[in-house]
Formats: sequence, structure tokens, C-alpha cells
Amino acid sequence: MDALIGLGLTAILLIATFIIGQKGERDHFEDLRRREARLRVMPVTTFETLPTGWEPTGSGIVTGSVVMSADYFKRFVAGFRKFFGGRLTMYEPLLDRARREAVVRMLEDAQKKGFDAVINVRIEGSRINRSGTEKDGVVAVEMLAYGTGIKRARKPVTPGTPKAA
Amino acid sequence: MRYEPRVPDESVNVSDVSPVRELGRLAGSLLAGLVVLGILIAFSVDIAVRLIPPDFETRAFADLQFADSGDPGRPDPRRASVQGLVARLAAHWKGAPYAFRVSISDSPELNAGAFPGGAIMVTSGLLAEVKSENELAFVLGHELGHFQGRHHLRRLGRSVLYGLAASAVLGQAGSAAQTGSLVTSLTERGFDRSQEEEADSLGLDLLNAEYGHVQEAGAFFARISESGGGARFLAYLSTHPAPADRALRLVRLAKSRGYAPRGTLTPYALVTAERP
Repeated sequence: MDALIGLGLTAILLIATFIIGQKGERDHFEDLRRREARLRVMPVTTFETLPTGWEPTGSGIVTGSVVMSADYFKRFVAGFRKFFGGRLTMYEPLLDRARREAVVRMLEDAQKKGFDAVINVRIEGSRINRSGTEKDGVVAVEMLAYGTGIKRARKPVTPGTPKAA
Repeated sequence: MRYEPRVPDESVNVSDVSPVRELGRLAGSLLAGLVVLGILIAFSVDIAVRLIPPDFETRAFADLQFADSGDPGRPDPRRASVQGLVARLAAHWKGAPYAFRVSISDSPELNAGAFPGGAIMVTSGLLAEVKSENELAFVLGHELGHFQGRHHLRRLGRSVLYGLAASAVLGQAGSAAQTGSLVTSLTERGFDRSQEEEADSLGLDLLNAEYGHVQEAGAFFARISESGGGARFLAYLSTHPAPADRALRLVRLAKSRGYAPRGTLTPYALVTAERP
């Protein structure tokens, strides 16, 4: 009887977190698409050096970071997947969202600071652990995107403009 | 070199796998695996039990004693009387490989059980509810039936192996553990039912052999459950079949074996009179 009550509660939790989680994921992806489209005007590269011909009038560090957690439903499914091994596909949307959100926030930071482009962009992930000795240690991931914001003399940079002279 | 602004391609880093289907597939295969494992354990325990001779079992579990209730210096008089009844019943079981030892557990609960090495436990609560010797004889005969099928050993072996398997296999899959324990308990209960029916079968045989009729077989359980034995009866019900189904099955079994359904009942005064 206790086992059945426990199972029922688990089922309710699973259904609720699945519905809420899926909705949150859909909304977030939509939001990302909108902001990414708006930020397309800002060149962003992983090169460490400035493209030739650029004459920066200013530079500075720009960062964007986000902390995200998977919902109960996904962690539940992942528990089974970890037993058999293989790709944890249920975590892929979470990490994709976190990476893109971090980059978008970095670009928004750059825009706010008046930069025209961001170079030498790096993305780093780290996990946030539960304190103590609890078994399921990881509660969330942090994704951090950072780079060097560049202010150019000749502005604004438009998409498709040749970088090198 | 041109700079081409692009938005991220969403099909690269996110697999198009439905998490619900993933759950269905994974949980399904885990459940199937557990059921197979449970059946394998049950079969291997049955084989192992057959390989353990009863005299080895008796020696191995010689230390298993259930302390009688009350003053340890003064043995419970009910024990000797129940022991006598067990001996009379066991006499009808030709070649019984156990020397049965009865112990009375001082508990308000109504329960009886068979344990390795020939130990039979009866609660004082059960003895207090018994109305005739025939009733008690069927309860005891049922427990003797567990020894004939060596269910006590099977149950012990199974619960040990299920426990080991659960901690070894499911301990690694946190979320799967709950589902797994439910499956193992359901499998175990299923096996228990067939064991209970086997035990009832010998209980009926012994009852008929001792008294020449099978009146009151199963009557005890039916009466207690009807009179609302309530919480005190839960312990017995959790390990024994439902009284109504059981009584029906016993009637059918008695008819097929040609046992007389009615006869004179032996009063159960002997034990009650000596109760301290």
C-alpha cells in the first residue's frame, strides 16, 4: 500500500514536471530565437586576435552566464538511461539552452557597453553541487560565455561587411 | 574572409528523441529484466533448497530459538499443549524430516509462522481466539505444510537474494529503485500464494487424518475476519491468503478428496484452562 501511494505520488510529480518542463523549454527556445535574430548585427568570433584592418577605439571584457537545472521528469528518465548507458539525450536541450542563453546574455552585455563586436569568445560550463553527502550530487549547471568586446572607429558594422581589407 | 552572421542550428546539439518514449523504452526493459531476474532467483532458490537435506538445515538452524513469553524459568504451559497437538498432527505425516519445536510469542497479534530448522511460532493472541482444537489443528497443520514444501527456506533464500539483487542492481539507478522494489514484492507475493495453497492442502490432509472430518478448516480465519479482528489480524493477512477465497478453496478441496465436511469438534479447554 505504501509502495502504491509512493508510486502514485511519483507519477503525479512526473506528469506535472513533464508538462511544466516542456512548456518552459519551448518558451525559452522561442525567446532565444528572437533575441539571437536581433543580435545578428554584432559579429562574434572565437579568434584571439583582431581581424586585420580593424581599428579598435576601445575594448573590454563582456560576460554572460546562466544557471539552469533539469526538471524532475528528465532526471527520472536520465536515471534509467544511466543504468543502461548511452547518450543522455534528455539533457541535450538543457545544455543547448544554457549555452545559447549565456552567449546571448554576453552579447547583450556587449551591446549595453557600446561595443560593436566580440572576439575571443569562450564558453565554460561548471556544475553546482548539492552540499553535504547526498547521492544525487549535481543540481544545476552554470554556463559562462565571455569574450573581448571591441569598439570600432568605423561604425556600425553591418552583416556581411568584409572584415579584412 | 567574410563574416557571415548566423543563428545557431538547432538540429545539431539537440537530438530529436522524445523523452516520454525514452522513458517507456528504458523503464520497460528494466522491468522486463527485473521480472526475469526475479524468476531466475526463485528457480535457483528452489533448486538450492532441494539440495539442502533437512537434517543439515536442522543442525544449521539449531540455535534459532523463539523465547517463550513470561518468566524464562517457568515454561509457558500453553507451549507443551500446542507442542503435543503438533506432535499428533505430525504423526500423520509419514517420514516428517523435522523435530518440530513450538514456541509461543507473547503478542496480541494473531499470527503463526514456520521457520528454518522446524521451529513453529504461534502468538498468544491467536491462541486466545481459538474456539476448538480443530481450528488450531488446521492452523498448525498449515504451518506443517510449509515445512513439507520447505517454503520457510525458500522464502528465506528468496528474501536474501532479492535484497542483494535490489541493492546491487537498483542501487545504481536511483530513480529506478522504487519501481524495482515494487516489482520484486509483487513477484514474491505471487509465489507466496501458491505456497499458501500447498500448505493448506497438507493442513487439510492432517486435519482429516487426526479427526476423521475437516469441519472448522479455515473457519478460524473466516470468523476472525468477519468479527473484525481488525488490526491484530493484519499481520496474519499480510502473509496468508484472503479468508473468503481460502474457505471456498478448502471446501472444494475437501469434496474432491472425499473428506467428511462435518463431525464432532474437540473442545479447546485443555490449553485455556492452563493459561497462566
